[in-house]
Amino acid sequence: MSDSTLLIILSTLSTGLLMGAIFSLVAAGVTIVYGCVWLPNASNGQFFLLAALAAWTFTLSFGWSSLAASLAVIVLGVLLAVVLELVLIRHLYNAPNRNVAYFVVTLGMTQILSGIFSLTYAKWSDQFSVPPVIEGITMLGPFPISNNRLLALAISLGVLGLLFALLRYHPYGRALRAVFQNREAAALRGVNVRAIYRLSFVLGSTIIFLGGILFAFAYSFDLSVAWTMSITAFAIMIVGGPGSVLGALVVGMTFGFTQAIVSIFASPTIAMFSYLGAMLIMLLFQPNGLFKR
Amino acid sequence: MNKHTKSWASRIVLVLMGAFVLCAATAALAQRGAPIKIGFVTELSGPWAFIGTNCVAGLNMATDEINKAGGVLNRSLQFIIKDNQTNPSSALAAARTLDVNDKVAALSGPTNSDTSLSMYGYAEQQKIPFLVPVAAFPQLTKPGTHYTFRIEPDAAGWGYAIAKFTEQQKPGAKVALMYSDTALAHAIVAGFQYQAPKSKLSIVSNILFPQGSSDATVQAAQVKATKPDYVIVIGAGAFDNVLTNQLLDLGIKPAQIIHPFGMTTQVFGWGTRSIGSIYGTFFDHGENSLTPEGKSFISRFDSANGRPPSYIENFCYNTAYVFKEALQVAGSDDREKLRNALSKLNTKEITSGVPIKFDKNGARKEYMYFMEIVSVNGKRTYQSKQRLYIEWNPEVLPVYDIIK
Repeated sequence: MSDSTLLIILSTLSTGLLMGAIFSLVAAGVTIVYGCVWLPNASNGQFFLLAALAAWTFTLSFGWSSLAASLAVIVLGVLLAVVLELVLIRHLYNAPNRNVAYFVVTLGMTQILSGIFSLTYAKWSDQFSVPPVIEGITMLGPFPISNNRLLALAISLGVLGLLFALLRYHPYGRALRAVFQNREAAALRGVNVRAIYRLSFVLGSTIIFLGGILFAFAYSFDLSVAWTMSITAFAIMIVGGPGSVLGALVVGMTFGFTQAIVSIFASPTIAMFSYLGAMLIMLLFQPNGLFKR
Repeated sequence: MNKHTKSWASRIVLVLMGAFVLCAATAALAQRGAPIKIGFVTELSGPWAFIGTNCVAGLNMATDEINKAGGVLNRSLQFIIKDNQTNPSSALAAARTLDVNDKVAALSGPTNSDTSLSMYGYAEQQKIPFLVPVAAFPQLTKPGTHYTFRIEPDAAGWGYAIAKFTEQQKPGAKVALMYSDTALAHAIVAGFQYQAPKSKLSIVSNILFPQGSSDATVQAAQVKATKPDYVIVIGAGAFDNVLTNQLLDLGIKPAQIIHPFGMTTQVFGWGTRSIGSIYGTFFDHGENSLTPEGKSFISRFDSANGRPPSYIENFCYNTAYVFKEALQVAGSDDREKLRNALSKLNTKEITSGVPIKFDKNGARKEYMYFMEIVSVNGKRTYQSKQRLYIEWNPEVLPVYDIIK
């Protein structure tokens, strides 16, 4: 096999893995919140962008190290989620058809955040890059991959693994799954449903924040990334099955590899829409998602 | 004359003197107090906010200078600035308001091809002079255009210039194209594809990315496999950095990468790894041929904004001076006279001395600098050196046939 062919194969693998892992992570955050609280968070893309922009601000404006900036953004993400839950989200826990109410509320949040970014960051720069956490490249045969991207990939996969284990083996995870399935029955069994809702919203939102940070370390970005990620995360959640982290992982990876492979054999433009085509086909056969809970 | 009559006479004199002073002041106010109004509809929010905001920064500097030096036709020059939110319908609505309510003498402002096109139709229909500072989409100055004039050279010409540059650097070069799905990039590529066979260049790879793309690792590997001599990179927004870095990651040398246009912030974004790469531009703070006014503009812009200006700010800065000169030639702010003055204008950019002259469709005589990045100092400044300066007539390529 020539070096050129090997280069293309390895670049496809690395792209599929990295994009797939970040897609999966963000979709996992969205799916936990939707599956448990029945909250379709339309502002997930703006949360994702907020995290990336905050990392950019902390590193470039405040001069913090990338690692310190990442930790600060995660703390910020947790605080934001707690405050939102306190002032907004919890008031609709018992609302009839709360998924619709939540969708409208989070659409409003999307507009507000998007407007704020448009009036601030959009004036300051049209492209944002965060300095790498670790410098250097690793050679995989003829293919060089930056250590920073390898780190982003390892963290994404690690967090997905931890999430999977948490939901499967930890009492919180069991309680959360019980609430997914039937909240009245779970309450009768002594599960504090409101506490589980709260925890799920904060956990899911923090994971979306983490996705934004990792993306900022792997790629330069601009404000349009919010919409791309928002649509992709929803698509992955729907196909994977709302509430299923395994579904988010499998479908996210499938989408990542689909994009990478189609972009070689067709074009990047077709690749961009190929996963939406794949989603429609999957939904024809499994309308409730591949990993229905 | 008794004391009583004397008192009345002095009162009448005082009243007359007061009336005279009042009339004189009113006349002066009429002359100095009624500014010449130009509607400036630009992108202050939305995806293009960064460009529009910086454009206004350049424009305001020039407007202040003009007004401090006495204004135009003994009146101050006032740009009424409106935000079009990077949205063509908002741009059109703002243009209509400026026309109907503010009765502006002319329109200007957009830095985006889509918003410019929406205002173009209105300006042509309502017969309002429309001076576009930055947008480069060729259709803005298509045949039959009467009221629209454009300061930025049209984008198809940029592609033509890149082909000429590449031909000069390496005859028979193999070139790869990587670009985002934008009207601007399509126009540049169309110009390049038209000229490439004439310059005996071969296009070995032609990859279009949809807007919103965030990764190009696979395509960079594909491009590398074709062993190009040069790669022309036109990414939208941050994707331009992604493309550049992924090519460099895979071992494409900086000197092989050509960016059709380089703004200051883009050069900072490409970073030190990109030293040696080439970019086209229409104004560069490192140019030796700048005028004293140009050097002063750079210094003051840098002090105010923490970085040197790029061609966007320069075009908007020059927009105010182009209006000043056209108004002086027109002798009034009458729209038709102003349009005629713009069409006959034969001047130079105050900052660089590059000629400004419009053809019968409002397109400017084209030019481009090709610069090589020599050093990049963080986000503060960079050095570059000129590799080529090229001028050409817009009619050298059939722009409106190759771009529909």
